[in-house]
Amino acid sequence: MALSKIDVANMLTGATPVANGGTALTSGFANGVTMADQWSLTSSFTTGAVPIASNLEQDDDPSFDPLGSSMTQSSGIFTFPSTGFYYVTFSISTEASTLAADIFFPIIQVTINNSDYDDTAYGIASQTNISSGHGQQSTINALVDVTNTTNVKVRFSIDGASSNVQFNGDSGRRKTYMTFIRLGDT
Amino acid sequence: MHKRPNHIEDALIVLHSKQWFTWTDSKNKIYANLRLTEKVGVNGELVDNTVTELPTESAVNAKLKELQDAWDAANG
Repeated sequence: MALSKIDVANMLTGATPVANGGTALTSGFANGVTMADQWSLTSSFTTGAVPIASNLEQDDDPSFDPLGSSMTQSSGIFTFPSTGFYYVTFSISTEASTLAADIFFPIIQVTINNSDYDDTAYGIASQTNISSGHGQQSTINALVDVTNTTNVKVRFSIDGASSNVQFNGDSGRRKTYMTFIRLGDT
Repeated sequence: MHKRPNHIEDALIVLHSKQWFTWTDSKNKIYANLRLTEKVGVNGELVDNTVTELPTESAVNAKLKELQDAWDAANG
């Protein structure tokens, strides 16, 4: 009897190539995401902050437990736990403290020399002077190649806002927050 | 504000701009836990907080009452 199909997966260790009927993944997603972390602004403020330098905490919501090693933060400057390729998001919750039109800019800033920060992601958001348009959530993101944890760091800023704009922070719920996911090796 | 001001933080954020205050316990935001931040972020630098004195508790409460009255007047 001719042998038409061989169960290759049972004959190999490690990843089974797609061409042989496998998924090219090792079992149990051992090479998947190993680090994910989230931080939040705990108190609201008006006008911009370049950078946001205080009132930040790692999320402690019951549904959240950081995966792997955590980010560390001092005066708004975040240090990565290890080298790697990271997906970073910055989401801001805003509303009008005064009903007036305004434009402002959420920014993810990265340094590669532990000194000079570059505007890696530069968003734009606005509020109107009509009641239906004065609250919103705006999110930007960046991919950061962390080749050195001493020199490559990230901070978050909101520029251009007047005192008409309130940036919402909360110690119990994520309103303005930062997410860090290590995608893989650098 | 989209909801009626109901906490002293609602008053604090309109008394001064920027990140001028912090809490010794962010889970317990009462006046006794209110502190000034040492530095605020301005133009990419950390500079001294220009607010050098905490408002009194009565001043904070008065501002909150003012905001509530204004909100009530505007929202019926």
